[in-house]
Amino acid sequence: MRTDRVVIPRPFGGLSAFLWTEFLVQIHEELAMATSMIVQGVLLVFVWVLNPSLIGVALLGAVVFSMFTMGQRVLNEAAYVRIDHKASDLYLASPLTPEAYFLGMSAGVLLVYLPPVVAVAVLAELVVHLTVGVALLLLGVSVAVWISAASIGYVLSTQFRDNRAIWAYSSLFFNVFGVLPPVFYPIGLFPSELRPIVLLMPPSAAAALLQRAIGSATLPAWEVALAAIGLAVEALALFLLAVVWARRTVRSN
Amino acid sequence: MSDEALRSTELRKIYRSKGAPAVTALAGVSMDVRRGERVALLGRNGAGKTTFLRIASTLLRPTSGSIEVFGFDVDRTPEKVRPFIAVVPQEGKPFFHLTPREQVYTYLRARGFGRETARSRTEESLERMGLTEFGDRLSITLSGGQRQRTMVATVIATEAPLLFLDEPTIGMDPFARRGVWDSLRTLTQRGSTILLTTHYLDEADALADRLYIVERGEVLVSGSAEDLKRAVGGTLKVSMPQGAGEIERFRSFGTCVADGAGLTVIVAPERLGELMALAVGSRLTATVGPVTLEEAFLYVVGRSIDAD
Repeated sequence: MRTDRVVIPRPFGGLSAFLWTEFLVQIHEELAMATSMIVQGVLLVFVWVLNPSLIGVALLGAVVFSMFTMGQRVLNEAAYVRIDHKASDLYLASPLTPEAYFLGMSAGVLLVYLPPVVAVAVLAELVVHLTVGVALLLLGVSVAVWISAASIGYVLSTQFRDNRAIWAYSSLFFNVFGVLPPVFYPIGLFPSELRPIVLLMPPSAAAALLQRAIGSATLPAWEVALAAIGLAVEALALFLLAVVWARRTVRSN
Repeated sequence: MSDEALRSTELRKIYRSKGAPAVTALAGVSMDVRRGERVALLGRNGAGKTTFLRIASTLLRPTSGSIEVFGFDVDRTPEKVRPFIAVVPQEGKPFFHLTPREQVYTYLRARGFGRETARSRTEESLERMGLTEFGDRLSITLSGGQRQRTMVATVIATEAPLLFLDEPTIGMDPFARRGVWDSLRTLTQRGSTILLTTHYLDEADALADRLYIVERGEVLVSGSAEDLKRAVGGTLKVSMPQGAGEIERFRSFGTCVADGAGLTVIVAPERLGELMALAVGSRLTATVGPVTLEEAFLYVVGRSIDAD
């Protein structure tokens, strides 16, 4: 390689190759894949037993929750690779750009864990009979929730020095924000004075929009706007934060 | 363009964390590595070797001083430096759920190599590291030494202009270590430059054109392995298993190190006959051998510790 000619890697340079790397890494984790839908499955069974009329809401919630927990997988993977394997040094001290490292890892995780989520979405279609509009809404909010969660996961991963702490905190964070708010149950059952708060959280905002779309929730226009605009802005802002963060944290101080 | 692959000037790094005293890892390290050289950084645990390598490889910011790689400021323009470097991190492990073949190939692809080049370099690198027969086994099933070989294979396959290797042969058997040495020699013949750290002094002796010994964040000495051995005061050592009691009689010959009942004297070849005559006259058994780099290292670093 000539050293008198500088080729600065373009933004997101190396993305597809690192995505493929992470896909290959994740695809061998059969046990993790097999257990990726346990929480969703248990909650769906509870809803089915306790109130079968809410199963459509719960199925759509399961899709949203699954996309949200992708962030937990990104957090765990990014921290594990950095702390335990120190392989992040191998990749980050190279032409692979930090943002490609973050996004490639997130997308690789997504690709591997997506099929069971699609299966739940198909089940939701069979139960609720989604219109094209609702299906597109499901796709849109799922992408927004994934971007938000993956970005949060990557940023949080840089804050830990010990993997054992991460397992506890990541599980706590993603389960609390993905299960307690009205994701698996209608937002109408949630205290009305606290609704603005949950409508600003990506998973419950996405679930509320879907519940409204299938007629399971009634939201005033301002709440719809709050959820939709909030979700879009948060996804964009968190993604940009993660990109900037990835670039900044390549080098520690 | 600069003829130097790397140059640092008064590089300092102080680690500060809340509730703990500041730790000076580098206290003004100035060094240079010329293109095509193999340079070893030696030092005790915590001497600052890894800190230096991490700063040089754009992964850690210095507190002050400057460092350039191929003329580019590492701190100000790391993105210009990264295409020219590759790093074997200390205690780095390959992805456990990739095979060595996948690990090397995907890493080259992530660095921007085309499919064909990546494929051929992967095979060449695996063969050099003796990994061909394990190439399709998941790394989780490999031994520690085989995983380390995978890490080295991944990095040497890049043939990057400047390679940083932080204890690259740790955990490897003697055959594998020599395989790495051969590969690194080949890489420098092809134009790469290598800066490595190691605790294996025989490795540094066999491999490095020049050495830097670092102690408590400062460069104690630099030069070739032979320079370092000469600095001890001689190139031969005379070991006398029962000689410690006679140490005062041998001090005039050179450096004397008593270890239990034994005594080792470092001596210049021209005074060997005289020393042996004294040993025989004192009815001491004496054996003669060359001074090793490890002994020179222990002497230089030990003297620094004693001085404090």
